[in-house]
Amino acid sequence: MMDEPDMDEQEARIAEYALGLLSPQEAKAFEDAMAGDAVLRASYAIWVENLVSLTDDIAPVAPPASVWSRTEAKLFAADPGRTKPSLLRRWGLAPVGFVGLAAAVAFAVFINIPVQSPPFNPAYHAEVVSEDGTFVVQAGFDPATATLRVIREAAEPRPDRVLELWVIAGDNPPVSLGVLPEDQTVDLPVPVALQGAVQGGLLAISDEPPGGSPTGAPTGDVLAVGPLTLL
Amino acid sequence: MESASPKGPSAAAREVENLILQVALRDRAAFKSLYDRTSAKLFGVCLRVLTDTAEAEDALQEIFVKVWDRADRYQANGLSPMTWLITVARNHAIDRLRARKSAAGGGMDEAVDIADGAPGPEALAIASSDRGRIVECMGQLEPDKADAVRRAYLEGEKYDELAARYSVPLNTIRTWLRRSLIKLRECLSA
Repeated sequence: MMDEPDMDEQEARIAEYALGLLSPQEAKAFEDAMAGDAVLRASYAIWVENLVSLTDDIAPVAPPASVWSRTEAKLFAADPGRTKPSLLRRWGLAPVGFVGLAAAVAFAVFINIPVQSPPFNPAYHAEVVSEDGTFVVQAGFDPATATLRVIREAAEPRPDRVLELWVIAGDNPPVSLGVLPEDQTVDLPVPVALQGAVQGGLLAISDEPPGGSPTGAPTGDVLAVGPLTLL
Repeated sequence: MESASPKGPSAAAREVENLILQVALRDRAAFKSLYDRTSAKLFGVCLRVLTDTAEAEDALQEIFVKVWDRADRYQANGLSPMTWLITVARNHAIDRLRARKSAAGGGMDEAVDIADGAPGPEALAIASSDRGRIVECMGQLEPDKADAVRRAYLEGEKYDELAARYSVPLNTIRTWLRRSLIKLRECLSA
């Protein structure tokens, strides 16, 4: 049990962190301490809630319309079409929160502090689709765990054939990421040598004989392609 | 104005939260609704911190990109939705301000994300909800000290700047601001 001065010391520290008064080294040390201390995280959340009230008397000002169009251009320029709301849900990120959620819950995720078993946090997403849109595979890449999660949304191999996944970086030839197993969702570990290619590269799926391409390059039809873009 | 009950989140807060959760699922229509409801409050915060319209506009655009990128982390943080949004905005604006002043210092960006309100009474209700005690408690601090806390929060001033402003040594400002923060915390939890 902490005595009073220590409690005060700790509260002052939390407030200094929330205000941004700590040096980078001090802030980092404090974040490390918070990562393993739910009580500290809860106290921090209380400070944040309180300090936000200092903005209560700031009047809302409608921003010019150009801000929204720039935001939209920045986020969606590369993909003006549809959005796939089902994807993150399938990655296990379905909403479970409520406003009144206890402040002590896993706050760590929020401030980028590693927790014991890191969840799958895709930084890149690709929708690998055929030209006619009937063949759809979703993929997400989490650089932290070097895992590529592949979800077959609508993707059946041809009879007695398999689907093989490829990554293409720039003008380089396709490199195989492996034959897709039957499972609807599969996590593929990405070898170090290919992690750079995956981040921002193009994914492609080709039709191959059982066991995959015998040549190391796609031999059958390329069924679908899609770029991995930063989420 | 009284849409928030002290017992729990207001309907308006719940709606904002639902929008954030839909944004986490990459729902663009929800993202536009969230922007429509909260951008005016967030823009107000950006203008207050940055005191420059063009810079505040740039900051607001960057803030909403962050909101889109980080909405999936919202549910884990235990903050109310407007707090999350305003804190993201405040921290981003402070980082920009400090970069402009080229002051060394840790980025606030890691600490949280923000976004808040829409124009009109509803947004004000969201923003004030059942907080507001801090304003009362700040009133119990000496004016200079309350002012220093406000400057740290809304202008991103660090200890060296505050020391220069009040013409006191660095260690003195640190000690008195920390004491003020402890007093503030005691008042807030009373």
